[in-house]
Amino acid sequence: MTTSAAPAHIEHDHLPAPPPSGIRRLTAPGWLRVLWVTPLFFGIGLGLPVLFRWLAHWDPLWKGSVLTTVELVTTPLGFLIGLGGFDYWAHYASGRPTRPEDHSGHGARSWRDYFRVNTDHKVIGIQYVVTTIIFFCIGGLFAMLFRAELARPGDQFFNPQTFNVLVSDHAALMIFLFVIPAFAGLGNFVIPLMIGAADMAFPRLNALSFWLLPVAGTMLVAGMAAPGGGPSAGWTCYAPLCSHQPLGQVFFNMGVQWAGASSIMTALNFLVTIITMRAPGMTFWRMPLLVWANFTTSLLVVIATPFIAGSQFFVLFDRVLHTNFFEYQNGGYVLGYQHIFWFYSHPAVYIMMLPGFGIISEVISVMSRKPIFGYRLMALSLMAILVLGFSVWAHHMFVAGMAGWLRVPMMVTSMVIAVPTGIKIFSWLATMWDGRLHFTTPMLFALGFLSMFVIGGLSGIYLASVPIDIHASDTYFIVAHIHYVLFGGSVFTIFAGIYYWFPKMTGRMYDERLGKLHFWLTFIGFNLTFFPMHYIGLQGMPRRVANYAPRFADINLFISIASFGLGASTLVFLYNMVRSWRWGEQAASNPWRALTLEWQVSSPPPIFNFDEIPQVVGNPYEYGVPGARHAIFGAPAPEPVGAD
Amino acid sequence: MRRGSLIQLAAIAVVAAAVCTVVALWVPWLPDPAGKEAQRIDFVYWFTTVIAIAVFSVVAAVIVFSIWKFRARPDDDSDGPPIHGHTALEIVWTAIPAVLVTAISIVSAVVLAQNSNAGSDPVHISVLARQFAWQFTYSNGKSYGYLEVPLGRKTQLDITSTDVIHSFWVPQLSQKQDAVPGQHNKIVITPIRTGTFPVICTELCGLGHSLMRSHVNIVSQADFAKFLKGSATTGPPGLAVFQQNGCGGCHTLKAAGSTGTTGPDLDKLKQYAAQANRGTLAAFIKESIVNPGAYVQPGYQNVMPTIFGTQIPADKLNQLVQYLAQNAK
Repeated sequence: MTTSAAPAHIEHDHLPAPPPSGIRRLTAPGWLRVLWVTPLFFGIGLGLPVLFRWLAHWDPLWKGSVLTTVELVTTPLGFLIGLGGFDYWAHYASGRPTRPEDHSGHGARSWRDYFRVNTDHKVIGIQYVVTTIIFFCIGGLFAMLFRAELARPGDQFFNPQTFNVLVSDHAALMIFLFVIPAFAGLGNFVIPLMIGAADMAFPRLNALSFWLLPVAGTMLVAGMAAPGGGPSAGWTCYAPLCSHQPLGQVFFNMGVQWAGASSIMTALNFLVTIITMRAPGMTFWRMPLLVWANFTTSLLVVIATPFIAGSQFFVLFDRVLHTNFFEYQNGGYVLGYQHIFWFYSHPAVYIMMLPGFGIISEVISVMSRKPIFGYRLMALSLMAILVLGFSVWAHHMFVAGMAGWLRVPMMVTSMVIAVPTGIKIFSWLATMWDGRLHFTTPMLFALGFLSMFVIGGLSGIYLASVPIDIHASDTYFIVAHIHYVLFGGSVFTIFAGIYYWFPKMTGRMYDERLGKLHFWLTFIGFNLTFFPMHYIGLQGMPRRVANYAPRFADINLFISIASFGLGASTLVFLYNMVRSWRWGEQAASNPWRALTLEWQVSSPPPIFNFDEIPQVVGNPYEYGVPGARHAIFGAPAPEPVGAD
Repeated sequence: MRRGSLIQLAAIAVVAAAVCTVVALWVPWLPDPAGKEAQRIDFVYWFTTVIAIAVFSVVAAVIVFSIWKFRARPDDDSDGPPIHGHTALEIVWTAIPAVLVTAISIVSAVVLAQNSNAGSDPVHISVLARQFAWQFTYSNGKSYGYLEVPLGRKTQLDITSTDVIHSFWVPQLSQKQDAVPGQHNKIVITPIRTGTFPVICTELCGLGHSLMRSHVNIVSQADFAKFLKGSATTGPPGLAVFQQNGCGGCHTLKAAGSTGTTGPDLDKLKQYAAQANRGTLAAFIKESIVNPGAYVQPGYQNVMPTIFGTQIPADKLNQLVQYLAQNAK
């Protein structure tokens, strides 16, 4: 349909400027500048608080928690400035001539281009996905370590402090540095292509929001080395416990801010891109469901994420500025933390699920060779989950001692969410019904998701019921439930998405046999690890304990061994990805015979996505409809809103 | 849809439901209830389980049937029938889940109301949680490190905390409630069988969280009356301090009848003092209470709260030190 490479003159016009030489190498954006700007800002972060405390005659001059807080703002800022994340805006603000966007920041010609501020959404998408997989592996290793500790009752390898740090960081990395940004990465790559745009609405903001991620992740991991110990109050970080933790907790409070800022910026970018940059003819009712899913997710992110920022700032202020948001001795309101925290963190569950719903809709429709069943209801149920998602936060607090009257209304709204979720499940089943099912790796992960997410959804019904939740709250039943939702749900959909778009992203095919092996190892390891947790939880094993009653010893040993198998299955995935990216066979432009726009261009796509502006003429899932077209190329079309 | 495939689909669903039912009945999912509230919660659990099995079986049947029947051959490039939706079907699968969750909600709300009802004359017991011990105070003003409740009477627990958030849970009684500093939360339990069951802290509360354990004795009403009149605190004044501060929650001391194993065995204090070699026995005991991290007995963790030095008045602290020194062997 299109040529596989962009016309030569475009390629030539947009080659990056020749690399600077001499002293200019130190002032041009890049890693050399990082090397001196970061220490400079580290010094500023050290000097300012000390100077102010000296001027104000405060004692002591060096105060760990204050210095750490300021450092965790200035040092990353220095890193980002050095790398060039703010260059354009700095030029603009200081009245110097700005370099107009000449697209020289687009495309990746060597691996080095992935290590700079790149404004190409396709490069950023890959940067995102690779970075998040690295943090997935680190978070997974933490899980292996504390599962080793839990293999037997009593103390094996770690003291309680280290155990609590491992548990807290496992969750924080998986949530803030893997699931949420992995979806943002896949969305980054796919959304502009799917809606027929040349790039995201704000490419420079997009680049910056990616580079905040390594900052946040490094902060969470580095906190483990803080004097006194790492963040150990759980990922929920409940006050007042977390206000009085060792210094590492400050790294957690600040790390979440950087990750949250990254999420908000990406979400704004998605919203503006989806609203303003759709190709001619791409009405909302012709958008693929992945775009719908990211649209609703971005609304959730923009509305909810400021609340977790607030909760972490309040805790930090209680510690550093001696405010009393949650210090009950001084009139603080302890439960206030949980209300604010869960007002973000419950919608966050949908932030971690809706983009996965979008991926599954793409995969199931294409691999079943049938239109999505009830397309409009699918889109509307996403919107219903968005709205309902904000009215259920207190179901995390049924035993917390909040206002008694809130329990039943929160139970009812939580139950009602099962209805739109059920609509989606049944519609996927109906999409498969009477189709021509192709059991490729993405389809296997989609089916794995369907079956596991149903289990996670049903255990969610148990937990929505207040009486059962009173029994099961804070036990391993909760651990089982969230892993069925976030592993069986989110992680399976991320894998489905990575395999599905791997040919498009890299231009090469992954190894199908290794992909299937990866699926089966993951699926079996996952169930053996997490299903028994329902049982030990209901029987009386609380979560987040380094020690437990001897009667749970055998089953915990079983779970630990299974979890090592689950961890090992990731090696198959990594091997497949690395090998196929380097040596895999060339991928066709449309190996799945899909109708959506990203498959109508070459693999990998041309540097500006579309050589001709597509004209969208129909729905994206018209499989089996004779003569149906989603888009035509080469039709005379008005100039779309550009990427500038 | 052909009639034959409908029958096959139903057969798979029945098999799936049977397998789920066996798993549900064969595995003892819930602890044997020791309270009326737990029995009611069990009822909601089984009510929900029946619905969950039905829903899961239908979904599983469709997935299995699809994998079995609709698999495309590798060379099959054809598309499926272009079905875009079916309004009646979509209404059905919106309405049925709505009805089911409404039913669960109603049952849950009724049980919640019953379980929260303290009746007209409950036994009142105050529960104080702190890092990392429980302290239970009874109507006679006496405090113990463990909970004692009468069989067959409604007992209302008034739960609070002095430091961070903890959570009170007895798996066999099912009732759970967070202990929140600055707030008094109440739950009701109605024991139906005698016995001793674990009290577990279920909210991460710091380094000693996994050790924050006590137990509940469910006894006959006559025994409970005896317990309330009991001579436990008519002993030396140091014993009262020991009990009021919940020391027995973590420490064994024969003289006080406590059997905690989280912290060092206080019957062996003389031996520990010799090992530690930090001055006289009394000085060692006092230091270990006021500044527990100064010397940690090998085999135990440094998780004892540091609050007792400021929380216990000086005269009471001396009584406690004296009492422990006297009983040390």
